[in-house]
Amino acid sequence: MAQIRIQNVTKTFGKFDAVQDLDLEIEDGTFVALLGPSGCGKSTTMNMLSGLLEPTRGEILFDGEVVNTLKPGDRNIGFVFQNYAIFTHMSAFDNIAFGLKVRKRPKEEIEQEVRQVAQLLGIEEMLDRRTTELSVNDLQKVAIGRSMITKPGIFLLDEPFSNLDAGFRSYMRAELKKLQRELEQTMIYVTHDQVEAMSMAERIAIMDRGRLQQYGTPDEVYNQPANRFVAGFVGSTMMNFLPTTLDHTGDDLVLTMPVEGARPVTVHPRSAEDGDDAFTMGIRPEHIELVDPGSAAAWLRGTVTLIEALGPRNIVHLTSDRYVLRVVVAPTVRPRIGEAVGLELDSRRVHVFSDASGKALV
Amino acid sequence: MKALVTAARVALISLVLVIFLFPVYWTVTMAFKPADEWTPTSGKIYWLPDQPTLDNFRRIFGGTPGGSASFLVSTPINATDSIVNSLITATFGSLLALVVGTFTAYGISRYRAGGNMLGFSVLQLRMFPPIAVIIPVLFLWTYLHLFDTRLGLILIYGAVTFPFVVWLMKSFFDEVPREISEAAIVDGCTQFGAFWKSVLPLVKGGLATTALFVFILNWSDFLIALVLAGNKIVTAPVFLSQINSAATGQEFGSRAALGVILITPPLLLSILIQKHLVRGLTFGAIKR
Repeated sequence: MAQIRIQNVTKTFGKFDAVQDLDLEIEDGTFVALLGPSGCGKSTTMNMLSGLLEPTRGEILFDGEVVNTLKPGDRNIGFVFQNYAIFTHMSAFDNIAFGLKVRKRPKEEIEQEVRQVAQLLGIEEMLDRRTTELSVNDLQKVAIGRSMITKPGIFLLDEPFSNLDAGFRSYMRAELKKLQRELEQTMIYVTHDQVEAMSMAERIAIMDRGRLQQYGTPDEVYNQPANRFVAGFVGSTMMNFLPTTLDHTGDDLVLTMPVEGARPVTVHPRSAEDGDDAFTMGIRPEHIELVDPGSAAAWLRGTVTLIEALGPRNIVHLTSDRYVLRVVVAPTVRPRIGEAVGLELDSRRVHVFSDASGKALV
Repeated sequence: MKALVTAARVALISLVLVIFLFPVYWTVTMAFKPADEWTPTSGKIYWLPDQPTLDNFRRIFGGTPGGSASFLVSTPINATDSIVNSLITATFGSLLALVVGTFTAYGISRYRAGGNMLGFSVLQLRMFPPIAVIIPVLFLWTYLHLFDTRLGLILIYGAVTFPFVVWLMKSFFDEVPREISEAAIVDGCTQFGAFWKSVLPLVKGGLATTALFVFILNWSDFLIALVLAGNKIVTAPVFLSQINSAATGQEFGSRAALGVILITPPLLLSILIQKHLVRGLTFGAIKR
């Protein structure tokens, strides 16, 4: 168990800043996801936590102690790699036992510990097999077992499930979450898949181009995205964005979209404006409802262009003026293509972003 | 049609086999033929020894076979000394190249040691034929008192086969994912420990192949051993070229006998490491 503090950390490769001024505090025993597109700096951050890379500037602290120059083997961490990095010349048993063998523990102890870990992961009967005979799914479990064997205080997982098939992936997600609860260990999970991050993590750190965009609970990053990047990245169907102008009425803001037939929307701002004069409004597809085009509640009118029937829900694509919008509706709602529809939105779910900084005002 | 293709295929394979195996067959049979069977004196071709004999072997090992056939070898040593010299110089020369070359290859592959230039400059060593540089090396070796010594041959063998080791091993190391050594380091290994315990075992097939390749090169070297040694230290290929006798001139029977002996070490070595020779590197477990 360990608490982690990343203070003002920058990692530079040549002239390229892979991670810039990262500040992050991870409480003991929490499950944190580092989420972002490829090249956002999440893996670099991971490698600095593991000690495979040294920060160019700033400090990394484990339980209040600076570990910048501490060797990976002395950090009390477990690391699961995206490609598993299984030692194929060894049996499953020897792979799991590796960390203990390096530390020259007595044979009986190794035997006992390995059996225990294997039991926990349900791979006891595979221990004596050669790793070349194991399935990808079992290899992933062996890799997790190998990282667990030294009882590390911190678990680092770098996209560990991205090579698994979909069914087993969701099973492993649940297993890992359960495992983390049982072990009560600090777990840091790198992923580019927002569903994975949302479903497992207690807190999510979203990164883009080397910078931290937002750090919060899944609920926070979904409902109160700090900026336009987070708003667009989180959510299984991407948020709709429309240009807008702002007018003040008392404490409230009135949004007027330059779309033909659009009615203004009144919202309550969360943070002050920053002198910018161009804005974008955002509304998630699941926060829009389809209504009769003549309805007084319709905020916007559009024409249906495409329907994705996903089973539990349908995604309706439509055009309004020259903008494309997506709406998530119940599976029973099936408008015809070319049909004119009205859109009603929940004004409490509307976001407003400043165009220059991307910062969220609402 | 299908039968025709099969027939053509069999014919082609047979032809290639004959071309490749005939010299081996001829050498082996000749080694056991008495002089009048391998010389043209009888006016007859003997496909197999008519009166098999071990005389050819006896001669090169210093024995005086029966009869009046006088045998004069131009060097004062016999085959045993030359084989021992070859074994020592080829083995240690190859080991030297393998040890230094493998570490160099790992450095270039994993840490881009020497930037983009080191790998290339290693290759430069092989850009001209050895004959082009062997005379300056002769002066250098004489100056260093390495001329005509086993150590001198070991060092030069190590040096000339080093580039092969570097380039072959580099290509094997390139295929081992970085994460393999990183996983070992996270688990508490040193850089060397990670190399030794996690990376090297994965490339042992490649290492075996490289070792055999380099050993055969050094074992069969003639030119370097001829120039940089040849008085006190005579290697087997050099000795083979010097087997002559006053009576018959070139002693092809005895040369064939030595040839048969010289085939043995590489053959044994390949049989020993055969299961590693096929690139049984199972990278299947590592998804990329």
